[in-house]
This record gives sequence, structure tokens and C-alpha cells, in this order.
Amino acid sequence: MTIGTTARGMLGVAMAAALLASTAACSKDSADAPATGGGGTGAVGVDLPRADSDFWNAYAGYVTPKAAEVGVQVAGPTNSQNDVQKLISNVDSLVTQGAKAILMAPQDTGAIGPKLDELAQKKIPVVSVDTRPDSGNVYMVVRADNRAYGTRACEFLGEKLGGKGKVVEFQGALSSINGRDRSEAFKECMTQKFPGITVFEEPTEWEGSKAQAALETRLSTDPDIKGVYMQAGGVFLDPTLQVLKQRNRLVPPTDPKHIFIVSNDGIPQELDAIRKGEIDATVSQPADAYAQYGLYWAKQAMAGVTPKEGPTDHGSTVVKLPNGYEDQLPAPLVTKENVDDPALWGNKK
Amino acid sequence: MSETLAVGAPEAPPQPPKRSPRAVTRLRLARLRDLALIPPIIALLIYGYTLKPDIFLTKSYLVDTVLKYQTELALLVLAEALVLIVGKFDLSLESIVGIAPAVAVFLVVGQTTALGAPWPTWTVLPVTLLFGALIGVFNGLLVVRFKLSAFIVTLAMLIALRGLQLAIVGGATISNLANRVPTIDNLGSLRILTVPLSIWIVVVAFAVGVVVLGYTRFGRSLYAVGGNADAARAAGIRVERVVWTAFIVAGALAALAGLMLSARLGSVAANQGNGMIFTVFAAAVIGGISLDGGKGSLVGALCGVVLLGLIQNVLTLAQVKPDQIQAVNGLVILVALVLARLTSGKAQD
Repeated sequence: MTIGTTARGMLGVAMAAALLASTAACSKDSADAPATGGGGTGAVGVDLPRADSDFWNAYAGYVTPKAAEVGVQVAGPTNSQNDVQKLISNVDSLVTQGAKAILMAPQDTGAIGPKLDELAQKKIPVVSVDTRPDSGNVYMVVRADNRAYGTRACEFLGEKLGGKGKVVEFQGALSSINGRDRSEAFKECMTQKFPGITVFEEPTEWEGSKAQAALETRLSTDPDIKGVYMQAGGVFLDPTLQVLKQRNRLVPPTDPKHIFIVSNDGIPQELDAIRKGEIDATVSQPADAYAQYGLYWAKQAMAGVTPKEGPTDHGSTVVKLPNGYEDQLPAPLVTKENVDDPALWGNKK
Repeated sequence: MSETLAVGAPEAPPQPPKRSPRAVTRLRLARLRDLALIPPIIALLIYGYTLKPDIFLTKSYLVDTVLKYQTELALLVLAEALVLIVGKFDLSLESIVGIAPAVAVFLVVGQTTALGAPWPTWTVLPVTLLFGALIGVFNGLLVVRFKLSAFIVTLAMLIALRGLQLAIVGGATISNLANRVPTIDNLGSLRILTVPLSIWIVVVAFAVGVVVLGYTRFGRSLYAVGGNADAARAAGIRVERVVWTAFIVAGALAALAGLMLSARLGSVAANQGNGMIFTVFAAAVIGGISLDGGKGSLVGALCGVVLLGLIQNVLTLAQVKPDQIQAVNGLVILVALVLARLTSGKAQD
């Protein structure tokens, strides 16, 4: 009986493992055998960093159409679920499937270095979108400057508040480079340019519930809060609006009770909220451009082109890094004035 | 549903409120154990008061910034307590918190025509509860009928349900719900006698739980099964049915907790509930629920929830540095465990 139960337990573990394996491997290479020779182009192996965020889902949605536009084949895409181990094994699998270049977004920028060096030895160029690996060779980093998000949010709030008052900042996870960049730049700008503003830094691990609890507490202890900076729109928008609605603080900017809110991401829901006057601004992180220029540079890499420093034809600047190059895409501040701009990716569908 | 004991079978031994002198002392000791967490709670209240003397001990502060944010956790702890008392584990509860409201809301507002969607908005609550209960039925089937290990079954379910939710909603946050689903709006903002509806739900759920566990045959059979399943079976208790019922009730409670969380946040995030199960176990164990089954009271578990909520809130108030808050949180929980151990004088297991 005991043995039988154990055996069945083992069977259960095996089934669970099989289930895991099948979900992890659900995206098989649909591309045909990679076309080698000719112009030296092959498939671009694409790994997506996670499946549970609105921004990255938008990015994932752009990969296939932009690949057709740029004219490259895509191997994958695989999904590494915010786990560097999965990323490494996915990359191996993509290379085995015949990928000649890799497009990835490593969320742990410290741990990916050795793998990048290994890929460089194999002559497989890597394009990293959104994050800049701390070490290891990359052909190109495609990202909007996350420090600029923090600075722009700070400047916007500072001007609207006239340089004094209290501000709540929902920080992302401190283990994420993008969250850290935004936090540091925001803090730096606030201390230098607006020393009269008190900032309450609230760590949230990117969880709406934690942000909401923190905001509620701050509004109780300091009802004169004048501004909120949320480092991501997708997770913080609805929870914040719920609190403000229940406290009757969702009022137009002309009302002295108004709380100025600036967000990051530029997803469609944020743009809607700006139109309705519920939040005041967001910094649009270009999901479409990430996909487009990520694939574009992957294609250039496969064609053997060496990137040139300086301005590009798509409104960005290429700079030299110690371990490669970086294409710094513009990240526009969206307010009520330009919220209907059709160039914003949040307005495209 | 109540369990029927075989006619003439002796009552199950654990915790019958008999009136012999020794039993009375034991009863008093048991009551005392329930209150083991009161000293640390009072300590935190005093500390909070020193931080913000003007508002901390007001009703509106404690209700709106402390208790309101613990309602979902409280229901989850209640659900987990039932399963723990009966001697099993249910890790999948945290994924039910996400998937049950996601499915119900998706059928109402999602862009789908599957199963005749869009469904009318009143279906949200019943569908959520039914879906949670169905998962409980499935867990029970694997654990009770097929005799698989509850730990591994529910661990696999945790992963599978999270994945299923991502697959259904495409990884996106379903947002702006308060304006589209009246049930959600009410659940999130309705107040009865100035206290939020969610708190009333928790009070009622726990009151029912205390009565059922303490004064009904079914409640006592939960303890009997968790204490010694074979003895309970010999005493004529239908052990399988009791365990199965515990899983089903736990699933439905977790689903309700999930809907309340969605109502509070105004959205269903793709990772809603992620990581909550650790806090659930912490609260349950601090509150004196035994991981071995057969022991523990709901009042103690509720104290555990209140304690964790206060810790979280006081840490925010004290403006602990973002990079240290998690370490401090863990330490304070450890101290609370030690305090509970000292005041109750009872070994934790």
C-alpha cells in the first residue's frame, strides 16, 4: 500500500514534470529550414521575456508583423518567463533550430554575460531589447533610456506642483535594472531640481495590491499628497484610480484637490485615462519600435554590417558601449495635448 | 453539507467540549492559545501610534488602510486552514485567486464568443464561485480518489492554473472593471455602516467558520480526520467525503477572495495572487494552525492575518528603505513566531 502510494506519487511528479515540459516547449520552430548562403541571412531566434505583462504582450504581438516588414524569418518565439535559466536554455534551443541571430530581452542583466560571450564565439550576434546586459558581447542594444523616464516624470511633476509638495512614487522591483534606473533618475532629478518636493518611495515588486495599500496609507497620513509617479501603467493604473475614486480625489486639474499622476509604458489603457483626465501624463515606451528595430538590427548583423555611431534614419541615436552598441530610441512624454497622436503605438490597432 | 456518523459510533475524540474539570482547563488553555498573538499585535499598535499619534488609532485609519487590505488574505487563510485542519495541503489556492475571477470576467467583457459570450454581468459572482469549487472538486478527485500526494497535486495545479489563466486572457490585465461590471464595483466600494463590504464578508465567513468548526458534527469530523484518519474512519466518519468537501469549500473561498481582490484593484492582473500562498501559510502557522493537521483555531488564524497586515502597514509608515523592507518584514515575522511560541507555551508544528 505504502509502496503503491509512493509509486503513484512518483507518477504524479512525472506527470507534473511532463506538463511543465510541454508548456515550456509549446512554441516549436515553425520556420522552414533556415536559408543559409546567399546574403547570409537566416532565421532570427526570438525570446520573449515574460507573458504576464501588458507591455511585453504588445511587444510579442508586434514581432510577427514587423518581421514581415523588415524581411526576416523568425525562429520561435520562445518565452523565458522572467527566468535567466529558461532564457539560456531557450537560446540554445533556438540556435539548434537554426537561428543565425538572437533577439532577446534579458531581465537579469548581470547573469546573461557568460552566455553572450559563448554566443559571440559561435559567431551568433545578439540584439538585446529593453535591457542593457552588464557584461558580455552584444551586437546592439535597442532600448529607450529608462533613466529618461524617471527624469521626465520628475520634471513633469515638479513643474505641475510648482516645486513644492508631496509625491508618492511606486517603484518597481529593485531587482530589475529598468525599475532601478527609473527610481535613481527620479530621485536624482528631484533632489537637484526640486528640493522642495518630498518623495515617498514605495517598493511594490510590480504588484498593484502593494501599491494600492501604500497609497491608501500615505493619503491617510498625508492628505496633502499632490502627485503620484507610477513606474508602470499596466499594473498600477486601475488600483490607483480605484483608491482616488473612493476618496473623491479623481477631480480635474483645476481643482485644488487634484493629484497629478504621471505613468510609464504608454499602453492603450493609459492613453484612455489621459483622455478622460484621470491621469495627466505617461512616458510612452515604444513596443512597436522595440520589435521593429530589434529585428532590423538582427538583420543588419546577419548581413555583416557594422553599426555606425550617431543619429539614425529613425529618429534615434546609436552610441558605442564597452560591450557593443546601443540604439537609443526616443520615448515621448504623452499628455492631453498629444494623446491622440497616431504615431503613438498605444493608438495603433 | 453535514456528515453523518454511523449510528452508535463513539464521538471522535479531539476537542469535544465536555464539562469535566480537566476539560475545562484544557478549554481555557485552548482559548489562551487563540489569543497568543494579542501581545505582538498590541506592541505593533503601540509602535504605530508612536509613529503617527494623530491618526493611527482612529477607526478610519485601521479600517481603511490596514484591515481592508487584509480581507482577501483572511479568506484565503480561512480556506487554507480548513484544508490544513483536515490534514492536507492546498497550494493551488493562489492560482485560483487569479483564474476564477479572470474566467468569470473574461466571459462577460472579454473579446470572445466562446461559450456564448458575452454573458450578462450578473454571472460574474456565481461563475467565479462555481469555477473555484470545480477546481476544488478536481483537486479532491486526484487527492481522495486517486490517492495522490496533496502537496504535489496542488503544486502542479498552481502552475497549471496560472498557465491556463495566461492562455485564456493572453497574458493581459483585464482592466477598467469597476465601470463595466456592477458586481465588481459594489464589491469594491460598497459600505455598510461605514465599513467596506469586503470586511463584512470576512467577518461573516469567519463567524460561520467558527460555528461550523466548533459546534457541528461536520466541523468536529474535520479535526478528527486531520488528527487521525484511520481512527476517524473506525469511528464511522466518511473520511473521503470530509476531505473532498474541505477542498471544494477552500476552492470556492479562494475564488471569492480573488473576486474581492479584483474588485479592490478594479482589474484582473495576469499575475493576480502570485506568491500569496507563502503569506497564507505564514499567517496560518503564526496563528497556530498545525501543518500536520487536526489542530488549530480560526480565531488564531485571523489574528495571524491581522498581525501580518499591521506589520506591512507599520513598515510603510516607518518608511523603511525599499531595499531593506523585505528583510525587515521577514525578521519581524520571525519575531512574531517566537513571541507566539513564548506566550502560548505550546510547541509549533
